[in-house]
Amino acid sequence: MDTLCSRMLLFLGLAPFMTLAATPPPTHQFTLENGLRVLVREDHRAPLVTSHLWFKVGSADEAPGQAGLSHVLEHMLYKGSRKTCAGEASRLLESLGAEENAFTTEDVTGYYQTLSPRYLGVVFELMADLMTTADLHVDDLETELAVIREERQLRIDDDVDAAVLEHFTSQAHVANSYRTPVIGWMHDLQHVDAKELRHWYQSRYAPGNAVLVIVGDVTLAHVQPLAERYFGALANRPVPRLLRPVELKVPGERKLTLQRNVPAERLLMAFNLPGLATAKDLHTVHALRLINAILGGAHGARLQKKLIFTDRVLNRVDTHYDERTRGDSLLLLTAELADPPLTDLEGAQARVWEQIETLRTTPPSPEELERARTQLIAQQVYARDSIQEQARQLARFQAIGLPWRILDEDAAALAKVTPQQIREVAATWLIPERLSVAHVRKVDVR
Amino acid sequence: MSERKTPRLMLLGLIAVAVIGSAAVYLSPSADSKASEALDNAKSSQKLQSLAELDGKAPASRKLDVQTWNTAEGAKVLFVEAHELPMFDMRLIFAAGSSQDGNAPGLAVLTNAMLNEGIAGKDVGAIAQGFEGLGADFGNGAFKDMALASLRSLSAPEQREPALKLFADVVGKPTFPADSFARIKNQLLAGFEYQKQNPGKLASLELMKRLYGDHPYAHSSDGNAQSVPKITVAQLREFHAKAYAAGNAVIALVGDLSRAEAEAIANQVSSALPKGPALAKIAAPQEPQASVNHIEFPSKQTNLMLAQLGIDRDDPDYAALSLGNQILGGGGFGTRLMSEVREKRGLTYGVYSAFSPMQARGPFMINLQTRAEMSEGTLKLVQDVLADYLKTGPTQKELDDAKRELAGSFPLSTASNADIVGQLGAMGFYNLPLSYLDDFMRQSQSLTVEQVRDALNKHLSTEKMVIVTAGPTVPQKPLPAPSDKPAEQPLGVPEH
Repeated sequence: MDTLCSRMLLFLGLAPFMTLAATPPPTHQFTLENGLRVLVREDHRAPLVTSHLWFKVGSADEAPGQAGLSHVLEHMLYKGSRKTCAGEASRLLESLGAEENAFTTEDVTGYYQTLSPRYLGVVFELMADLMTTADLHVDDLETELAVIREERQLRIDDDVDAAVLEHFTSQAHVANSYRTPVIGWMHDLQHVDAKELRHWYQSRYAPGNAVLVIVGDVTLAHVQPLAERYFGALANRPVPRLLRPVELKVPGERKLTLQRNVPAERLLMAFNLPGLATAKDLHTVHALRLINAILGGAHGARLQKKLIFTDRVLNRVDTHYDERTRGDSLLLLTAELADPPLTDLEGAQARVWEQIETLRTTPPSPEELERARTQLIAQQVYARDSIQEQARQLARFQAIGLPWRILDEDAAALAKVTPQQIREVAATWLIPERLSVAHVRKVDVR
Repeated sequence: MSERKTPRLMLLGLIAVAVIGSAAVYLSPSADSKASEALDNAKSSQKLQSLAELDGKAPASRKLDVQTWNTAEGAKVLFVEAHELPMFDMRLIFAAGSSQDGNAPGLAVLTNAMLNEGIAGKDVGAIAQGFEGLGADFGNGAFKDMALASLRSLSAPEQREPALKLFADVVGKPTFPADSFARIKNQLLAGFEYQKQNPGKLASLELMKRLYGDHPYAHSSDGNAQSVPKITVAQLREFHAKAYAAGNAVIALVGDLSRAEAEAIANQVSSALPKGPALAKIAAPQEPQASVNHIEFPSKQTNLMLAQLGIDRDDPDYAALSLGNQILGGGGFGTRLMSEVREKRGLTYGVYSAFSPMQARGPFMINLQTRAEMSEGTLKLVQDVLADYLKTGPTQKELDDAKRELAGSFPLSTASNADIVGQLGAMGFYNLPLSYLDDFMRQSQSLTVEQVRDALNKHLSTEKMVIVTAGPTVPQKPLPAPSDKPAEQPLGVPEH
């Protein structure tokens, strides 16, 4: 560690990063006999604790025709169990002052509560009960499906950008299940089979298919006995195989044209890329993260500087690369053309491609690479300000089957990437055979 | 990602900071709640063991030492030292929101958006890269009352000092370059086009217009398609010179800094700002006429908004209204509105009510979206829930639960540096005493059912509602019967 530190100091000249790297917060790990993995991180800044119970089940696990099942189950968990009546769990947690919610993604279904550490036992007892004895009544399912259809209208169907993104994502993934939208297609939400829902619950909510992450003003001595008492009593159950959504080696170039009621035309582009869990070597992933930051992941990145500030052909552009996925990932670009337009969609795409081509052929300057690296490392420091964010990061690594300690080595791993490697990785991965494009043209529906 | 519910809004808007001397004072049980307590204990002992085992002590909250002083130029500073992480957060708050626009709607937003578009020797891209190269985050925004500029940076001098220098130039000496100005105006105009396709936005714009009439809160902070093109760089300069003056600023600072470092930072920023006094407060709004208006829109859902004038920040009834609203529809499940509209009938994903106390009287508002064919029935249901609540007030149990929830959620308001800097900023801006939160908690915990009911009736009336709906006109269907298994009362928690 010492040699690593001194090399990083030389490389970055960033003393505060070393303070953190040298003293990672106390983090403890244990596994209950039924297979539930538990992480406890101490953060004593405020008298609070956050408890994140995540199950390794999400829309990526759903069969065609069942889209949205994991999310429906998440909603239904609060509709009564052996120890709670419908709605009671939420009300009880709220009456203790908890900030609590649940969410579903492609990879996971998560339940979290942030509250005074004195109430942690209540949270554990409730969650242990909900994950094993939920009623899942047919009558409640119909009411809750109505709520979820409203949620879908609100979040997707009445929001043109969200609807376009859902459509595009389903095309950008060819041979893997990340094409399934988390909330489910509306036609699948019309009829959800109660038996299938129950099966989903029984097969996926096994202790061995879950991770529990606790961050806050607690110690191992506080958390472990509580976890043993409430979660330790749950039976060991078979754990389903962790599916890894992997893309074709050559997915091919794809194009989608949509006519939508947009105020200005939109351009979407996505490259099929590996994530942390599927990359042959992590170094490729770290280079891709830096490429994202250099290309369009910041206000002062190349696309923003050239296409918004200088050429003014775009009103807005962002790129996003999420490497913390269970399977393969995307580098996703979304852009809105200037209005009135200075170029058409083909022209805008050509200008974006020019910037990508530059990355593929010319290494970035050391200063530019350093700037991207500094941003990523500083964001990791800032993430420590929130106990919820720390818990999300730890839980995410656990849930995709990777050691959370990768997080502690992140600054050192980023420090090793050279300008030449940026060029090489860009040339290898940002190629037309991995690209999907959507052109969203204006149509006035009224 | 899809969440089960909309993340809860901060219940109090500004509960925070302040060192609560002895929390137990606020949490002592009242005699009225004994029966409920016994019942709760009996219920809970059969179900959740962990509840029965609670010892009844109040949740602790973070002890903060808020330091405050004024800079030589007249900026008010609030500072909390937090050395656990090698970073700091600074937030500048100016009375430079759209209520200061005068006859140029959009002026405040444009001025704020132009801060980081140019300084001597740096254009927008160079400024962005300057912050990014230091790992620093710059943020800005303008609302009705206030305009913000914020900086999050590593605290080591190598990053902190250049980040502060850049920040001070951006906030104090922006050059407002013409080419950027044209681009930002275009983005605002594109935003107006986008708004035309957002029924919720259209409804809220109409609502504020009807609620506030000629008052400066009436117009959208972004201005409109007629006002924005006319605004000039000269107007921006003039607005910046008076509204971003040191005397019109509050500086909130939290992080890995000593008092001496904090003073040096506050002085550096304050002296970079234009010189000048605080702006005069805006006048109180007139009571609006009750009304119902519909905006025809081809969406799948109908947006429903019901509002009337609420209270300003100094209103002595704030604690009672806040607690009363928490029970009516203040976020989360189990509120009266959420229970009737979502949980029993599945009519919406979420229904919320809120008081937004501002410098002048802010709105009280209820809003939701529902399927178009049930919008009329749903509106009636919401009105009935409010009328019933105003008539009877909360039950003793609802009030006790709300108090417990408030006490339990209190530590969340100062959980992180980001939370603390937000609280400091609001306290400074609304000129609240450092004992404000202390007072607020004490008042809240001592309220009776009658006091809450009376306060609600003093400020709200079903007769005064300004209603705006936006959605398609379709044949209406009757509401479904409430679920025959309505959500029960929550399990009891032993009283503190």
